[in-house]
Amino acid sequence: MNLFGALALAAAVAGLAFGLPAIDRALPSQRPVRTDQPYAVGGGVTVLPPTGATIDLTGTRPGDDQGTVLFRLGPVKYTVAVQPFDGTLAAAADRLRRRITGTPGYQVTGSQLAVETVGGIAGLQGGYTAPGRGGRYSVFVAGGRAIEVTVSGAELDLGRWLPAIEASTRTLRYPGEQP
Amino acid sequence: MTIAPVRPGGHEGERLVRTPAFWVVLVLLIAGGVRIAVIGFRFGSAYPTATLTATVLFALLAVPFWLFLADLDFLEPEPVAMQAMAFAWGGLVATSASIPASAALEDLVAKLGSPGLAADWGAALAGPTVEEIAKTLGIVAIVLIARAQINSVLDGVVYGAVVGLGFQIVEDIVFALGAVALAGRGDSVQPVVATFLLRGFLSGVWSHTLFGALAGAGIGYLVVRKDKTRAVRVGVALLAVVGSWCSHVLWNAPLFSDGLGNGGLALLAVLVFKGLPPLLLILLLVRAAHDREADYYTAQLAALRDPELITDAELEVLRSGPRRAEARRHARLRAGYRAHAAVRRLQRAQARLAVELSRAESSAPAARPEDVGTLEGSVARWCSVVREQRAVLADLGLPEATVPVDGQSAWRRRGESVLAVVVAIAVLWVALSALGGA
Repeated sequence: MNLFGALALAAAVAGLAFGLPAIDRALPSQRPVRTDQPYAVGGGVTVLPPTGATIDLTGTRPGDDQGTVLFRLGPVKYTVAVQPFDGTLAAAADRLRRRITGTPGYQVTGSQLAVETVGGIAGLQGGYTAPGRGGRYSVFVAGGRAIEVTVSGAELDLGRWLPAIEASTRTLRYPGEQP
Repeated sequence: MTIAPVRPGGHEGERLVRTPAFWVVLVLLIAGGVRIAVIGFRFGSAYPTATLTATVLFALLAVPFWLFLADLDFLEPEPVAMQAMAFAWGGLVATSASIPASAALEDLVAKLGSPGLAADWGAALAGPTVEEIAKTLGIVAIVLIARAQINSVLDGVVYGAVVGLGFQIVEDIVFALGAVALAGRGDSVQPVVATFLLRGFLSGVWSHTLFGALAGAGIGYLVVRKDKTRAVRVGVALLAVVGSWCSHVLWNAPLFSDGLGNGGLALLAVLVFKGLPPLLLILLLVRAAHDREADYYTAQLAALRDPELITDAELEVLRSGPRRAEARRHARLRAGYRAHAAVRRLQRAQARLAVELSRAESSAPAARPEDVGTLEGSVARWCSVVREQRAVLADLGLPEATVPVDGQSAWRRRGESVLAVVVAIAVLWVALSALGGA
């Protein structure tokens, strides 16, 4: 009886630790997304998804003050994250670079470039490498919020999808922005 | 025949290692420990100072909770090894199972509902569902390993609270280090301090320790109250676990996430609204369980009718934590710290004698002759210890370990309670101000 109870206990723990994630993985996480309408990321920030993108529900959490969206273009991940921020653009970029390099094996490459959205939000853009993959990041600060864009995938895939992703990034908008 | 609400257990000792559950739980503890060690090593390599700071701060936070539980369980303290196992379950097994399970359940909310639903209610639904189950399994593990140690509903409360405390401390450390990583300022302790104020002070009182205590009360009731039907016991246990889940959901719910206005007072009002009802409910339940156990054990001593072992006034003192503390304080004021220590030893000995008496009584009908001898020997030994401490106290000029009935003690206790509440509010206020709420 004691052994039966103990095995039931272990099964319950395994059900939590492995069963739930297995059920989660068994259900599809990607949904189609309209690429002709701005997508509300969070905190009032919107972006026009790139053509061919699907939305990954496991990395998408919209909110009033902050939010994230994860688009997938084949094997490439394209993430936009919005959160309250009261610092400068340089500080926001530095914070993101530190977070990237804080992950073992990740390194930023080259210098940062100034970028701008269609609506005129100034940003900084750079690149990073990770084992077996590469990535790009962009940071924008507008309306008391930091908008962080990260793109990751194998270099060949990135080369294929980056133009569409960069075009999408330029469509970022926030509520106080003048059209 | 009435069945006592307290069911004294025997000495477990070496029998523990002969139960299959012990080894299964040990394997789970090792697996959880490896998982948490990997997470700790990853954070420790990237943020050594922050990791050390978080570990020290949250370990210190565990001390007042531990002391409170020790005092609550004064009459029949649980074995330290079993408490350590409960703490380890909360900190190692429950956390390591909850991390992937909570994320998966939140993803399922997003997939079966919507990303917006997951963003708003994911933490309120996924966290409590997974974590309360994982913690309750820890109390079940203790029952499987050492059923005899769950002698009263209060024992269930204590083990549930200790499992919750382990979970709370490890989860807080992981959250603090997650905040360090998210801040992107390198090995900085500021996010650790902010997390400590937020999760330690603002959320600490009505957190996992409290929820675990409620679930533990239910499991304790299920195990101990054999005078009730199985349906009633299972129903009460389920109700308690669901109650802990509801309390957790209310705390995590996005209700009043924008506060009740601006400023620290408004934020304090939200904390009180979401945290106080479960806190009061659980404290009332704990108080009832404590008083029930105290009634049982003091009745064992009262039946001796031997004032050298315990006087009527000492019986009243022994059944209440504040009165026990007041008696020690009174002894210190009259005869110094030696008297304080002597009263503590006397109270411990009296409590232990009560437990041995109840063990002897409950085991007598079914006990083997050699066990009867052992039980009687234990009672005789603790009677002797009580008499020794009584003699020490008498030498110090104190005939008994009690509290003066001048009314001042009661007022002093009330004054100290009010002062503690004022200090707690002041600490909350400082914490809220430091976090920008005021």
